[in-house]
Amino acid sequence: MSANDVNQALLADLKANGADFFVSVPCKLLGGFISTLEQDNEITYRAVNREEEGLGICTGAWLAGRKPVIVMQNTGVGTLITSLCSLGNYYRLPFLMVISHRGSPGEPIGAQVPMGTAVETLLQTINIPTYMFSDPKDTKKIGQLVPFTDVAEGPVAAILDYDFWGAR
Amino acid sequence: MRRYELLQSIVPEITNEFVICNLGFPSQELYSIRDNDHHFYMLGSMGLSSSIGLGLSMEIEDTVISIDGDGSVLMNLGTLSTIALEDCKNFILFIVDNGSYGSTGDQPTHTAKGTSLAAIAKAAGIKSSVEVPGSAAAAELKKCLGTPGPHVIVAKVDPGSPAMTPIPLTSLAIRDRFREAIKAAKAKA
Repeated sequence: MSANDVNQALLADLKANGADFFVSVPCKLLGGFISTLEQDNEITYRAVNREEEGLGICTGAWLAGRKPVIVMQNTGVGTLITSLCSLGNYYRLPFLMVISHRGSPGEPIGAQVPMGTAVETLLQTINIPTYMFSDPKDTKKIGQLVPFTDVAEGPVAAILDYDFWGAR
Repeated sequence: MRRYELLQSIVPEITNEFVICNLGFPSQELYSIRDNDHHFYMLGSMGLSSSIGLGLSMEIEDTVISIDGDGSVLMNLGTLSTIALEDCKNFILFIVDNGSYGSTGDQPTHTAKGTSLAAIAKAAGIKSSVEVPGSAAAAELKKCLGTPGPHVIVAKVDPGSPAMTPIPLTSLAIRDRFREAIKAAKAKA
């Protein structure tokens, strides 16, 4: 599966499961996926400055009936913990986080490793259902996490590593 | 004039608009002055009133007013540029600027020492950004409600708050009541 195919398949499976509102903060692993989002005129897509801002915008959109997805790098989880607890979890807001996993095997930059190592535990510590994906054939399973946010009644995280993005 | 008296003065101007209200005393004060299903009270996530209001205004026809604070806006300045780019005609960011972190003991914020949030908002690209004394804020809000936004109103008031008690609503009650009100407004539109 080429990198381009993964991006198309991931967006198609997210949309097929109801996702219709996307925000992103960039990551080099997400470059192709963000281009795919930008080119899709069936969804609402916005670039935001910071993950917390994105969570706020997604909250407003969800209150108005949309199904939001935050597309972000794992490092952004660090800036998001408080709002995930006191907004996402406390108001039980069902949205999906699609998180690229810098600092996982394939990573060339040492500074990415500490947060790459911590991210899964951080999300689990604040009781966010968190699932790791390495296989680009798993886009359907990731898409199915969109309705699972309603089952879980709150935010859900999918962490996608270098192998998933075909970047190793 | 403190935030409480300011909120008392603007509430009569707010009719069918949807309101996102900042956490702590602002929400408690608004709740004590008037409560209805068009109010979304934040109980945490300081800094995000502006962004929640922006996301909502992108998706509904009705006007959205985010009631925010100077300390909170300073925590999320980046969203001012997003508000400018998004250019939602139905969005008003109403900043209560009392130069202090009112809910934590009135420690001074940087706006007490010269930072102008209206100037920052203007530089971010929001053309309609004004600073007014609290006593003129209700008239300014009325004016903005009658013209296309986005608008930023910075209302300068004194620090301090009357004694308040926590809002006796759960997060889920606040959420569901507000969501139903939006659904009803959309169905009517």
